[in-house]
Amino acid sequence: MTSYLDDPALWNWMSPIWFVVLALIATYLWMCRARLTARSWWFAVALMALLVAFVSPIGVLANGYLFSAHMVQHLLLLLVVPLCVLLSLPQERVAALTNHRFNFGSRRPMGMTILCWLAGLGTMWLWHVPSLCNAATQSETLGIVRSTSFLMAGLAFWWPIFSPKNRLRLSPPAAVTYLFSACLGCTLLGIYITFTTISVCPAFANPSDRIGILTMLYRAGLTPVADQQLGGLLMWVPPCSLYVCAIISVLCRWYTADELASISTATATGSSPQMTKVTS
Amino acid sequence: MSETQNEATPGTTIESPPAGRLLSWISTVDHKRIGILYICTATFFLAIGGLEALLMRIQLVLPNNTFLSPGFFNQMFTMHGTTMVFLVGMPVLVGFANYFVPLMIGARDVAFPRLNAMSYWLLPCGGTLLYFSFMTGQAPNAGWFSYAPLSTKPFNLMPAQDYWIVGLLCLGVGSIAAAINIFVTVLSCRAPGMSVQRVPLFVWMSLMTAILTILALPALNAALAMLLIDRWLGAAFFQPARGGSAVLWQHFFWVFGHPEVYILILPAFGMISEVIPVFSRKPIYGYVFVAGSSAVIVLLSYGVWAHHMFAVGLGMGADIFFAIGTLLIALPTGVKIFNWTATMWGGSIRLTTSMLFAVAFLLEFVIGGLTGVMFAAVPIDWQLTDTYFVVGHFHYVLIGGTVFGLFSATFYWFPKMTGRMLSERLGKLQFWLWVSGLNATFMTQHVLGVMGMPRRVYTYADNPGWMILNMVATIGAVLMALGTLALLWNIWISLRHGRLAGDNPWGGFTLEWATTSPPPENNFDVIPEVKSRRPLWDLDHPEHADWRLAKTTEDHGGRPDKAITAVWAFVASEAVFFLLLLVSYVVFNSKQLNGPTAASALDPNRAGLFTGCLLFSSLTFWLAEVSLGRGKQSTFRVWLGLSILLGAIFIGGQAWEYAGLISNNIMIDENLFAATFFTVTGFHGMHVIAGLVALCILLTLSMKRSLSPKRVNVVRAVGVYWHFVDVVWVVVFSIIYLRVLP
Repeated sequence: MTSYLDDPALWNWMSPIWFVVLALIATYLWMCRARLTARSWWFAVALMALLVAFVSPIGVLANGYLFSAHMVQHLLLLLVVPLCVLLSLPQERVAALTNHRFNFGSRRPMGMTILCWLAGLGTMWLWHVPSLCNAATQSETLGIVRSTSFLMAGLAFWWPIFSPKNRLRLSPPAAVTYLFSACLGCTLLGIYITFTTISVCPAFANPSDRIGILTMLYRAGLTPVADQQLGGLLMWVPPCSLYVCAIISVLCRWYTADELASISTATATGSSPQMTKVTS
Repeated sequence: MSETQNEATPGTTIESPPAGRLLSWISTVDHKRIGILYICTATFFLAIGGLEALLMRIQLVLPNNTFLSPGFFNQMFTMHGTTMVFLVGMPVLVGFANYFVPLMIGARDVAFPRLNAMSYWLLPCGGTLLYFSFMTGQAPNAGWFSYAPLSTKPFNLMPAQDYWIVGLLCLGVGSIAAAINIFVTVLSCRAPGMSVQRVPLFVWMSLMTAILTILALPALNAALAMLLIDRWLGAAFFQPARGGSAVLWQHFFWVFGHPEVYILILPAFGMISEVIPVFSRKPIYGYVFVAGSSAVIVLLSYGVWAHHMFAVGLGMGADIFFAIGTLLIALPTGVKIFNWTATMWGGSIRLTTSMLFAVAFLLEFVIGGLTGVMFAAVPIDWQLTDTYFVVGHFHYVLIGGTVFGLFSATFYWFPKMTGRMLSERLGKLQFWLWVSGLNATFMTQHVLGVMGMPRRVYTYADNPGWMILNMVATIGAVLMALGTLALLWNIWISLRHGRLAGDNPWGGFTLEWATTSPPPENNFDVIPEVKSRRPLWDLDHPEHADWRLAKTTEDHGGRPDKAITAVWAFVASEAVFFLLLLVSYVVFNSKQLNGPTAASALDPNRAGLFTGCLLFSSLTFWLAEVSLGRGKQSTFRVWLGLSILLGAIFIGGQAWEYAGLISNNIMIDENLFAATFFTVTGFHGMHVIAGLVALCILLTLSMKRSLSPKRVNVVRAVGVYWHFVDVVWVVVFSIIYLRVLP
């Protein structure tokens, strides 16, 4: 296993992702006015995930060798990076910024939530239509489009759950339904990829051996069939586990933060907190 | 506290029917009476299922025994399993939920009392269908999970299997209806002050069980419908010889079957979460963890079904992931044991029979749980699958867990249901008989399993040690039977001569103890104020009231509309049903098929036209809804009429398509494309027709001027269903006609 990590051909140190990382750090420092808090650790995790996705062997193998590595990269971009970024944002600053620039109003429209849900699930489904999956693996430009769309869709997907502004978050029961149905969505696609006999992304079925590691991979048991099965399972189980963790955090919020709940319910029903005090 | 002001709220007293007591029970819609009916019916079937178990144990007491024929032994284990799961376990838990959920949340009845009566009467109906199979010469014999191809026509010609399928469909429909009822009751009928975060844990667990039932049972129903189509109409979904897939049956069955385990155990968790605090005189330790982890169990339970199928050969990758999932689900289950133990820690414990059973639950359930974790390790599963080790494992879960929870609840709530206490002396006799019986029977089966004794085989060779272990197991079964007789005798004499209970004999904390025993028909004359999770404790000990010490989330008065919530729950259930049918379509049509395919037999343009009609009817229905909200009755009727017309055109189009296919000799038994196509579109068509019936009823109501703008929620509820049917068609159309999936 260590031989994989030692092999310099498997590391892409010259990846342009470093520029993105630097730009993100600059933006983050500007956002929180260079005052780092405990939240900033989440940002560090997001950057690490980004680097793992492109610089580490995951990134190299995802580029035409292994469908499963390609799936890990997608999960990092779609789920891990956006989630950590949202968790790292300083609440007060975001509140100030969004109040000035875009006012969403006190109610989160239902249609918006559905769009966010569809963005998260739809991107995953769309990029695994065989022709698109193939094209994006072979064309560099399309690959960049795909990675960007994953990051954006991930932000949209997590926004109703972990938005830095409490009042933009879904009510806990709705959030649980949102996450559970998302779990169902990726389970379906995961099952399909795991058990189907056709090749979902033919580019990975007969890779061109750029750096001469194909024999090593096949010897390790990562034949195209096993690879696709693994990819399907990766799409299925880790996201669902992540959603379950998110559900746990939502439930904790629901039970413990009384104040928070009263605010969100009051805004959801459109009545003032004083009104609800009287009725209860 | 015990308000016995006899001021019956006006309008809540119902006159008992003149035809006497029997008719009053048959025609009742009172949740308490229906609960008792459920429990009594389940007890009746418990006796039958228990007798079947005893017959099997007598057969196995000696090696090479000939007491039962091999065929009859197969029927016995099939009927024992099916009876205990569908006719005993689920109904008795639904019965307790029926009786106590409305009482514990301070409601007058369940959300839909008539639907409740229907759910109950489907139970004796399904049970009769299942047992009627004996009249045909033999009972079902393919095991309680009826694996294909053994359950398909070529291997099982007798009609018994058909009775099994139809009986289970009947019970499935009843269970889903009952679950929707409980779900809506908990969400919409809570007393003022009872926020969802404050409901008693039994109520919370019943809510979770209801969600599980709503989402899991349709998987079984879809599989049963397909098996029935195989058997009656000659399709081949589950016949590998004709291109079908026997493994698909296993997937479908266990997608239902694993959540089913939690349907049977979560209410028992709820029961002991009520009993242990009351008899320890302490609040439950970690309410939030117990409640939240149960929600997590609900979610995880859908992701671990394949651990029942490790021996099938799913591939290493799938095995590893499902093994991890299975290990994960043990966490939220296992940590709860510590919650209950910590609740007892330092409490002033009263070891009543109820508490004894709750404590025994903790011990025995842990044994069943630990052997369950063993099975998560794939190699151990390969070694032990289909041996008596499995039988021992799940009986520890279902008896040590579910049955002991139920006994605990019976002793705890019997005084509330009847007004009299059960005898503690007989109770303790029953307790020791059951504990020794359970361990004698099933601990020995673990050993037998490791020694290699296969389950479901009618006899065994005289291997060293097997006879003595089997004898111990049979003696254990007899002890459990005697324990059951002790309970029945206890109930019989206590109903006559039991000590009078009073309103709150145990010093209970929750609302059911605030009313008389047994409760009046309207449940409560006055509902105490709810300001914490233990309203009665607060009343009795105002200076130590819970709400003074710790804050729980206030009730903000949000109660969703009953009709709309119910339809959403129903739609979710139907969505799972269609999902599985569509999965089967995709599975079978992604392979090369001989004979007609979607590309060769269907005309997407014509279907597109009718699809447009159906989609347009959604729009017109929405317009109808808006007009009714504004009080424009005649506009409402015009839009509604148009929706009906468009829906009818769609059905006409489907009939045209069917006629074309049939005239080309493409029937449901032609090949797997035809079978899946007719199944998916046929079920969808039936749903459209049901929707049209609902729309026609709305139109009639409106013509009779009994649909006022105030009742727009009824129209909205029907609308949810109608739009759902359209959404399903969009998916069906894209997959079947447009072939978006490769």
